[in-house]
Amino acid sequence: MSSENKEKQSERLSFWEKLYLPEIARGLGITFKQMFKPSFTRQYPEERWEPTGSYRGRPVLVMEESGERCVACGLCSRVCPALAIEVQAAETEKEKERYPIKFEINMIRCIYCAYCEEVCPEEAIVMSKDYDIIFTDPQEAVLGKEKLLVPIEKLQDRLEFLRQYK
Amino acid sequence: MNLNSYTEIVKLNKVRQEKIYSALLDKNTSIHSDDPLDNEMILNMGPQHPATHGVLRVLLRLDGETIIKCVPELGYLHRGYEKLAENVTFHEFIPHTDRLDYLAPLSNNVAIAMAFENVLGVEIPERATWVRMLVSELARISSHLMAMGATCMDVGALTLLLWAFIEREKLYDIFELVCGARFTTSYARIGGVANDIDSGTLAKIKDWANQFPKELEYFEKLVHRNRIFIDRMAGVGKLTPQQAISLGLTGPVLRGSGIPNDLRKDMPYMFYDKVDFNVITFDEGDSWARYMVRVNEMKESLKIIHQVLDMMQSGPTMANNARKVLPKKAEVYTKMEELISDFMLINYGAQPAIGETYTAIESPKGELGFFIVSDGSGNPWKLKIRSACSSNLQSLPLMSKGAMLSDVVAIIGSIDPIMGEADK
Repeated sequence: MSSENKEKQSERLSFWEKLYLPEIARGLGITFKQMFKPSFTRQYPEERWEPTGSYRGRPVLVMEESGERCVACGLCSRVCPALAIEVQAAETEKEKERYPIKFEINMIRCIYCAYCEEVCPEEAIVMSKDYDIIFTDPQEAVLGKEKLLVPIEKLQDRLEFLRQYK
Repeated sequence: MNLNSYTEIVKLNKVRQEKIYSALLDKNTSIHSDDPLDNEMILNMGPQHPATHGVLRVLLRLDGETIIKCVPELGYLHRGYEKLAENVTFHEFIPHTDRLDYLAPLSNNVAIAMAFENVLGVEIPERATWVRMLVSELARISSHLMAMGATCMDVGALTLLLWAFIEREKLYDIFELVCGARFTTSYARIGGVANDIDSGTLAKIKDWANQFPKELEYFEKLVHRNRIFIDRMAGVGKLTPQQAISLGLTGPVLRGSGIPNDLRKDMPYMFYDKVDFNVITFDEGDSWARYMVRVNEMKESLKIIHQVLDMMQSGPTMANNARKVLPKKAEVYTKMEELISDFMLINYGAQPAIGETYTAIESPKGELGFFIVSDGSGNPWKLKIRSACSSNLQSLPLMSKGAMLSDVVAIIGSIDPIMGEADK
């Protein structure tokens, strides 16, 4: 059964193709041509890549002049499919009345799905452009408020993208 | 050649050992046996074998180099997604589908979103449907490119894998512009898609679709007339149409046996009835035919992409349905009603009617379906994943029977199993 089919296939090959040696030369020719094409590889650590506003990098908290935007409603922590976010609320004398006394994201658990950003009613948690996130031990990977708060000027690309397309 | 009973195996081992002992005592180095059963050997292929496309373990009983029996063992990548789905809301389950068929996550996202919309009774806007069609065809090309490259690599043409990766890389750059991630896309949502595609990205997709046929032709030139490649692929792993149907195969594996089964034509979902494309079939039913189905399907997908790009109109990409679909971000910031529904939807999930639904799409690997039983609460009572890969893998014992050991690699490559989907 199988040999029958094999013959049928090799019948389709012309004499020169059956000889195989010219095919080797042709194949090598194609590969040789490739050498003169521009290289596609990026030399990563030297050549850094700059993401656009649509990129979902490390989630961060937006910080304005008056402090963080977050009101510790806990919706991000509820929606997180990987259970990476922990929020603890406290009261403040300021206008918005509530703020997170503790806000932790476990970056080992985070799957960068941007659900936290999608549900946030205050535009307080957004995805940044950070992509090379390295830790030496698991404790270090639990980011607290001091590491999560990023000034709003650095997040303009993403905020612009969210307002326009989301 | 029946080794089923334990006593037979014990007897055979005894005969074999006696022969070895006597040969050692005689200082005779050649051991000759008349019974062909003496030469049988069990070989473990995988789960670490590079040609098994992941963590598939194949147990082979060999007579010399011919395969007598083949048993694929699945489950090394089992993560219990069906059970997991019962404990999360519909919305929260979408990122999990990225990890099913991880070479075409966008197709899975679209499939699960369609299944949930079917459960919840949500209509989606026109542009969202076009965007979904566009991304699932792009995902099909990226998946088939990987299948093409991996099959060629398995039979010895490593160059093609690297070239296919270049094209896939360009596609992944596009995915990143579309949804912000290269691999774990999580793009579709209940009621539409996560974000609109801007015109610049659409232009990039068009540019890519214009240059891709030239590259594909270049790929074909390298291997399609190559005698070694044809000899390795043609006539290997024959599957008759009757066998393919009775095994419940779908996708390119079935179409490679000459059956024009394609859900996009047979049961047009989204707007597949509005676009013009052909269902590719090859009659040979061997590895070569299955490989050729994939290569030609990429060209059909390109045709669909061009038509979708022309037909796409601007408009909303999320349905307006306060009780079931997440509201728009701008409205959450300013309006009270939307803010309340945002909280309610996330905390309790969208509430469907009680009942059972089955929704399937033609994913790159075949029919990907979700059977959902809902009890009226925010999470599915039961979610069954009908994965194409696990069904298609069942054909491996039949196809590899009587083949050579090295053919198994070509056969597995032509089935194109993704273990994330096969093991769920």
